Amino acid sequence: MSESSLNKMPWVEKYRPKSMSEMALPSAKLKGHKVDLSEELKKFIIIFFQEKKKINDENHKIKSFNRTHEEKEQKKLIKISPDKVAVLLEGPPGVGKTSIVYALANDLNLDVIETNASDVRTKKGLESKLNESIKSRGIMDFISQSKDKILLIDEIDGLYGVADKGAVPTILNIIDSTQFPIIMCSNEYKQNLQPLYNKIHKLEINPLSQDEVLRIAQRILIKEKITNLQEGMINSIIEKNHGDLRGVINDLQGISQGSSGKLDSELINSLNRDSTEEIFLIIRDLFQNVSTLKQARDLTNKSDVDYNFLYKWVNENIPSFIKLNSELAVAYDNLSIADEIFGRIQKTQNWSTLPYFYDLFAGGVSLSQKSRKENQGFRKVSFPRYISTGMFSLNANERLVVEKIKKKYEISEIEAIQDFLPFLRVLASVSRKQLKLVSDWLELDATEKKLLKIDS
Amino acid sequence: MSEDIPIWRIKYLPKTLDEVYGRSDVKNKLKEYINSKNFPHLLFLGPEGIGKTTIARLFSQEFLGSFYEPNLKIVYADVPLTSEERTKARSEAHYSTNKIGRLAGMTITTPAFIQVQIKPFVRVKAMGDVPFKIVIVKNFETLSSDQQGFRRLMESFGSNCRMILISHNISGIIDPIKSRCQLVMIPPINVKEFEVLIKTVAKNEKIMIENGTEEILYKITKGKIAKAIDLLQIASINDNTVSVEKLYENSMVFHKDLIRSLLLMTLKGQFHKARELSRKIQSNYKYTVQELFILLYNELTKIPLGTYALANCINVIADADFRAIDGRDSDIQISNLLSKLCYYSEFL
Repeated sequence: MSESSLNKMPWVEKYRPKSMSEMALPSAKLKGHKVDLSEELKKFIIIFFQEKKKINDENHKIKSFNRTHEEKEQKKLIKISPDKVAVLLEGPPGVGKTSIVYALANDLNLDVIETNASDVRTKKGLESKLNESIKSRGIMDFISQSKDKILLIDEIDGLYGVADKGAVPTILNIIDSTQFPIIMCSNEYKQNLQPLYNKIHKLEINPLSQDEVLRIAQRILIKEKITNLQEGMINSIIEKNHGDLRGVINDLQGISQGSSGKLDSELINSLNRDSTEEIFLIIRDLFQNVSTLKQARDLTNKSDVDYNFLYKWVNENIPSFIKLNSELAVAYDNLSIADEIFGRIQKTQNWSTLPYFYDLFAGGVSLSQKSRKENQGFRKVSFPRYISTGMFSLNANERLVVEKIKKKYEISEIEAIQDFLPFLRVLASVSRKQLKLVSDWLELDATEKKLLKIDS
Repeated sequence: MSEDIPIWRIKYLPKTLDEVYGRSDVKNKLKEYINSKNFPHLLFLGPEGIGKTTIARLFSQEFLGSFYEPNLKIVYADVPLTSEERTKARSEAHYSTNKIGRLAGMTITTPAFIQVQIKPFVRVKAMGDVPFKIVIVKNFETLSSDQQGFRRLMESFGSNCRMILISHNISGIIDPIKSRCQLVMIPPINVKEFEVLIKTVAKNEKIMIENGTEEILYKITKGKIAKAIDLLQIASINDNTVSVEKLYENSMVFHKDLIRSLLLMTLKGQFHKARELSRKIQSNYKYTVQELFILLYNELTKIPLGTYALANCINVIADADFRAIDGRDSDIQISNLLSKLCYYSEFL
């Protein structure tokens, strides 16, 4: 490729890793255990081809057996188990799920057949795109030893609606009949993909660490001979993107090519990537940058995050931004009125009062801070852990104990937790003898006994 | 009574209708039903925790005799369905057989609770030598709109299965249900019978009770027998004597420590810790917001504060409680109270 055409390429494509060794490898989890992503994928592909070869040979024998024997003695062809055929990479956008597949293919000398959300992925569409290339090898393959292939089904969480009707069963069919390994990528859990999740293993990929992203970003900047970008600015770009390497590279290109020489932090702040990370940015902006009611309003209007959800995020994150008790009290005062108004709207369906709700939970909370000096800098924004549904639920351990109580004593689950268990706890805390008596009588085991001792 | 049950409230649980303490009017009426081998749908009304369910259960057991196990079901209306039960209810929703009209070919769903908990039981014929089956539905008022589903159910399956609905709040029950049931008011045990009961327990367990303690116990527990026996057991556990002071000391012991430390944390201004603790309390005890506020209020009155400060704190709690009535998110409302108490603590 000529120099000029390289310059016009997006950096993301230009610097897409050619080999695993160039990659910034994100950490990954398989069934809750940490694994080395590249090793795991290599192993998966190598084992697939070994198994497939074995099974093809077996099937060949069975076929010839079936040809010579009567119909009732015929044996069924054997199949390779689905979790050895396909694997799902699940992780946030821009950590390199697609790149790792291409890099791996390059290393192992394989071709990649890709389908992504831009294709129409109905039953027909998928079959015409994939089937001919995945079913048994064509005649030509025997003549010219062609490359093996990997199937990459990218963005499978984008499979939905009438447009992609019948895609999931088709993918399951392909898994059954394929001659090549399949790798799927997805950003998040989707209900309609459950049949897939049941059959195959899922590798959960974590966001890249900031150091890792910084290393790659600096390498690219050196190659592009860009020197007028200060370290602080790079860091703030990286921070904004929360482990999304693709986002960082796009931002770097945007900044260095968009402005002629002059770089300022205003420009960096204006870069706003619409992604699942949006809510983190909104929360940070709300607490750290908003200084008038109008700004708060703009922020909530601009975002398409569900307000129903957003105000719970605000609730969860107030204490990490606001430290002064006086400001906390004002913030919560406003938030609780907002909650009250929201409850009334739900009850009376009087939606005309929704603007009050918005102003109170966004502006009211944010502007309860008198000064912004203390809350600047990086603050952890956390997911609302406590989503109160008004419903009552027991954890597994509590459920076991309540079941055991119910065997001896007719009592409802709610009564058991609110009324009876606290009494047992008090009784058990009086002496060891009582604890033993109670737990022997209820036939509790060691872990369940702990529930009786939880407060003491 | 077997000696090896370490929990008195279960040890002294009545085994027959005759053993139920006091309330002879109700017992006589129910015994008439047993003798005539027939009764209408019943609606038991009375305050919480006084033994409505126990009476209903014992009555059903005696009515059904030796066949009570397959023919009796106790259902708790306030316990939400598990996810499996909900899926089951959804899968059992049936298609309408109407060929014309609005409902043609539509999925008809009955309320999930009835679909899962009640219908499978009432559909099957009674087993053994009994006139009909019995379903006991506890806390019936919590069903709210699902109550409508019971109207047809009580009529169409009424001959196969009688219902005993239990509730402590008659205004929560819709009129059509009230008109289909015989109302049975169950009063709390009266003081005299309560004293007799406590004395028998004390005699059995060989504990000394000071004079007048029974009356105080009755006042503290508002006639709730199970609570009273719990309290008696805890108060007497160390030295087999029970006095008025000991009862008061122990009456709040059940959640005292956690609630008190929550309150102390807020009064020290440690909002973050207090919120963590309140979430822990919520997840362990499953209190409603109102219950938690009342506990905090009770604990607050025991802390030595000036009148003015106390009044202000109570004002804050009352305000938060008022907002929580309409509010949607109990965590926000609790955090609101905690943050205000934290702030107020700076002026103490």
